[in-house]
Amino acid sequence: MVSLTDVASYLPGEPVPAEFYTDYPGAEDKLRDHPMFKVPPLRHHVAADETNADMVERAVQPLIERHGRDEIRGVDVLLVHSQLPDLPFVGAGTEVARRLGLNPEWLVDVANAGCASFVYMLKMARQILTTTEAKTALICNAQSAAGQCFTQSEVRRLAQAAIPGDGCGVGYVTTSADTPVLDVETRHIGAYAGDMTVAVDDGRKYWEPGESQLRIGFTDSSVAKVLARGNRLVPEVVTDLCRRLGVASTDIDVLITNQPNRTFLRNWREALQLPAQRHLNTFDQYGNLFGAAIPITLDHANRSQRIEDGDLVVLGGFAHAGDFAGAVAVRWHGGRG
Amino acid sequence: MNEESSTLADIPGLMRIENPGKEELTAHCMELTHAVYPHHQVYGQFCTIHAHVDCPPEQAYDYLRQGHHLEEWTCSLRDFAPSGTPGLWVGYDRLEDDTRIYCKVVADPEAMTVDYHCSWDQGEKLWMIYLMRVVPAPLVLDKPGSVITWTNCRHPYYDANPHPDMAPRSDRPWVGDFWDLFYAGHTVEMNNLKAILEHRHRNGLPISMAPAQAVAR
Repeated sequence: MVSLTDVASYLPGEPVPAEFYTDYPGAEDKLRDHPMFKVPPLRHHVAADETNADMVERAVQPLIERHGRDEIRGVDVLLVHSQLPDLPFVGAGTEVARRLGLNPEWLVDVANAGCASFVYMLKMARQILTTTEAKTALICNAQSAAGQCFTQSEVRRLAQAAIPGDGCGVGYVTTSADTPVLDVETRHIGAYAGDMTVAVDDGRKYWEPGESQLRIGFTDSSVAKVLARGNRLVPEVVTDLCRRLGVASTDIDVLITNQPNRTFLRNWREALQLPAQRHLNTFDQYGNLFGAAIPITLDHANRSQRIEDGDLVVLGGFAHAGDFAGAVAVRWHGGRG
Repeated sequence: MNEESSTLADIPGLMRIENPGKEELTAHCMELTHAVYPHHQVYGQFCTIHAHVDCPPEQAYDYLRQGHHLEEWTCSLRDFAPSGTPGLWVGYDRLEDDTRIYCKVVADPEAMTVDYHCSWDQGEKLWMIYLMRVVPAPLVLDKPGSVITWTNCRHPYYDANPHPDMAPRSDRPWVGDFWDLFYAGHTVEMNNLKAILEHRHRNGLPISMAPAQAVAR
């Protein structure tokens, strides 16, 4: 039996108001009233010198306080997903291990599964904890693109820039029965690989010197495709997961997904026939947190007593332009170990 | 064109590429796109179904055009005979006991549309209309055969029988009571139609059948 024993999170800096984008000279404002591009009132940005490893270190502190430094230092498995990576050659994992004094047998920098990578890392942690001597795992999602990529002078004007937010969420996974992982459903969809690109207008490689500013390359038609895929994929994996568990989607007490925009949140809730109060999100406070959304929202839901003892909690989402989708179910028992 | 544009400017609620513009139009369409739609939203006021049928469009049209074939592919329409009014046939809808159904076929070979103007109990006002169209599949799907579409619109009479006095029994259920099952029922019948046409076409059999001798009742 493997449990998601605890979660914690960290949001960098002070909340940044929507006006940071909407009052910016030359801001695109045509789409401000549309749910797909509606600007969240607040978001957080990493500081100029703040790295993914910094954020993970800060997010893990509550776990250290609650479970003890030695216990956290003793994790056998460390999985880290970070967007944007601070270095092109290596992920943040080993730096996180150095900062926290970890000596894990298993250390993987996960660079796939994007906004649903928390689900995928939970699956991997469960597999390792089930089939090896490993007893505990730390899974980390750091998202630092908002305050770096989307605040560039040109990109900041675009409607897409006002949506993302930075933050970090971490999960502590153990071989115990306190908040058991009931089942997990994931799929990698190669057909949709590479449909989300980073765009630079002068065609240079992202690391080559130049004037153009890196941004996410979504055309109208690719946004339409991603909408259709996301609409289908997330309800599909959650429904398949529920079928395997022998429950209806309406039996889900708390659903937490990635939060690209309000339209997806509405569509997934409708498709799974769940009332809004059971599909929790932190979009208005933190914007689109990419991969960090699921653990951060879960932590907030837990700390604000939005989850009751014994609740069936489902975490789900999809990545990039649809190249991955996954959902995991846990039976919640306090999440405080 | 200018005159037209100024006329259009007076019409509230239009969304055209000139205004609001492409991005906003796209965003609006995104908002209108949901993952799922409730049954009543899709089939509440109009019920349209469609199928691809592996049978040449001319033959599919010719089959539908001949009203007596309704006895083959519908679930419950049987025993059609001339009503005495030219072009108007009367048969039984076995959905309910002793229920007469009047039917007139209005077909257009150019457009390959076949409309069945029907009603229960009386042939004076044919308000229950089945709108069908055969489209050559090579044109729309780039494959052989036909696309057949079928639409019903929710005429007010579905919700209130205008002639309850003409029912065979006072407790006989009304056709409109079944509206919420039309998507399902019509799908079953479309599957029958597809099966018949494809079986005969695949096996080189005649598609159309001679009408059975009408039996006076």
